[in-house]
Amino acid sequence: MPRTDLAGEDRPRWWGSTAFRVTLLHLVLTLLGTAALSAVAWWATTGFALRQVAQEVERDSGLLAQAMRIGGPRSAALSIEARIAADRSGTQYYLLAGPDGTRLAGNLAEAPRAPGWERLRLSGPGVETELLALGTLLPGRGVLVVGRDIAPVRQLEGFLLSAAGWVGGAALLLGLGGGLLIGRGVTRRAAVMGAALARVEAGEIGHRLPVRPGGDEFDQLARRINTALDRVQGLMQALRQVTDDIAHDLRTPLNRLRQRLDAALRNAQGEEAWRAATEGAIADCEKLLDIFAALLRIAQVESGARRAAFARFDLSAVAETVAEVHAPAAEERGQTLETDVAPGLVTLGDRDLVTQMLSNLLDNAVKHGREGGRIALRLAARPEGGAVLMVEDDGPGIPAEARELVLRRFHRLDGARSTPGTGLGLALVAAVAELHGMVLRLGGAASGLRVTLEVPATPTTG
Amino acid sequence: MKVLVVEDDAETADYVVRGLTEAGHVVDRAADGREGLFLASDGGYDVLVVDRMLPKLDGLGLVRALRAAGVRTPALFLTARAGVGDRVEGLEAGADDYLGKPFAFAELLARLNALARRPPLSAEPTVLRVADLEVDLLKRMVTRGGQRIELQPREFRLLEYLMRRAGQVVTRTMLLEGVWDFHFDPRTSVVETHISRLRAKLDREGAPPLIHTMRGAGYCLRAPD
Repeated sequence: MPRTDLAGEDRPRWWGSTAFRVTLLHLVLTLLGTAALSAVAWWATTGFALRQVAQEVERDSGLLAQAMRIGGPRSAALSIEARIAADRSGTQYYLLAGPDGTRLAGNLAEAPRAPGWERLRLSGPGVETELLALGTLLPGRGVLVVGRDIAPVRQLEGFLLSAAGWVGGAALLLGLGGGLLIGRGVTRRAAVMGAALARVEAGEIGHRLPVRPGGDEFDQLARRINTALDRVQGLMQALRQVTDDIAHDLRTPLNRLRQRLDAALRNAQGEEAWRAATEGAIADCEKLLDIFAALLRIAQVESGARRAAFARFDLSAVAETVAEVHAPAAEERGQTLETDVAPGLVTLGDRDLVTQMLSNLLDNAVKHGREGGRIALRLAARPEGGAVLMVEDDGPGIPAEARELVLRRFHRLDGARSTPGTGLGLALVAAVAELHGMVLRLGGAASGLRVTLEVPATPTTG
Repeated sequence: MKVLVVEDDAETADYVVRGLTEAGHVVDRAADGREGLFLASDGGYDVLVVDRMLPKLDGLGLVRALRAAGVRTPALFLTARAGVGDRVEGLEAGADDYLGKPFAFAELLARLNALARRPPLSAEPTVLRVADLEVDLLKRMVTRGGQRIELQPREFRLLEYLMRRAGQVVTRTMLLEGVWDFHFDPRTSVVETHISRLRAKLDREGAPPLIHTMRGAGYCLRAPD
């Protein structure tokens, strides 16, 4: 078996590794999260403060405009002067200008060019600040400007920005660390699994992947791989078993054939003797060919390829026919064959194979049943759907501990070695049952064997 | 009967050709599928014996090509593949019968005779007659010399099968397939039992026997000489 060489062009590149990708993804997501958080913080603090200032400016501006309307420019100018005088923090700015642009009151030097909201940069000796100002056109073409210093808000903004920077940096480091840790974990688990599989590949077919009791996805995966390995090992053992069996069980009839021909060559006198030897040899060959045919058929059934040819057929009719075909053989051994077949039971499957399966079961019952005894074939519908098939004899039966074994190829009980047969009959039964999803049970009362087959319900369509 | 044997294995081909020639038939042989198709295309044969596995063109392809060209010569597949699905596949391709290797020569001969003499399907008779035995397929009634004979359904099927091939040798395997729908040999004496039961019912009071046992081959239903 050629081994896959990972050192070739298939070698994983570092940027293709899970560790790298997990780290990168983790990093990007952490940064995006920090950015979103910062944006929300900004909106909730600085944005809020700015909106507050704007509301205050609007209200103040509204009040002064009202004063202007009621008391004229003089009253408005007085209100402005009073406000400026009362402002201890020095954050309020006003300007009342006449239609010709002359300043009537206020502490602002000049009016902005257009009415509306504006950010004004104020610079003078010892003052370097920014205003949020609202200019309003007054009736009679004067201009009223109300402004507020937003330096504290700007400070808050700066503070927030630096905080976001710190937090972002920390998150970056944490994300990098976390990603590396997760990636390293994944890499290490994969490496452990890979090493275990490499040992299996190298021929230690019994070796299994380690599974931790906790059971994360990796452990589940490892468990599945172990199950698959169990199956492979089972199949390999079965294959070896079959090879051994074939070698052993085919050698016996081949030896007999050789002896017969050998004896004929040395002793046969006259045409009659030659003819008898030839006929005997043909019979031996036929037996060998039967064994091959049965083996091939079992292998074919086990491969599952026949499932494609499944069709609906009358199981009751098949059971009746098989009983009829085996009745003469039972009669020869003085046995009574009782049949109790419920009519019209239809199932989905391979008619030929099911026929042969039933035929094998009845053949067994006739061969191993007691001479002059009783054989029963029953087919009945199950209340939960499907059907149950039963073949019963009153021979020596099969001891409970050997029931598993007789389903294997070539396994014959010691007592059965003297009866004719290939030792493949029940193996085919087991294979056909498995193919059709039937549950096969070997049981029996005090004496005799009872084989039960639970036939699954047929889907109503198909 | 003129037979074409398409078989690449020289030993099997020899065995079949020698046997058929001894039985008095004219035999041609082809060693691969293409040659077989070429020879069979003119339709001058009564029956074809075709191996499944052939070089150049396999048996399935050969029969399919013949059928597509409208050549209706009956064909029998020979195959080493005793698989369950192969029979169906072969029949679907247009073959008329199927025989797994290894086979007894008598079996092959009986089947070829049956194929070559098969009446065209359109002329399906409703009453079969051999000597004074009459089988009405519609009424499912059997009479011999005007006397009614009661048969079990299986016995009726068996008799019908024999009557349709009256005068030909019918093997045990053919009966298992045609009457019981068994495509393997259950190694019981079911055929023999039914034949003897049928005989007992048909040949009453010294009437000449109609069903004859052909030693080493099978059975034959025919009018007494």
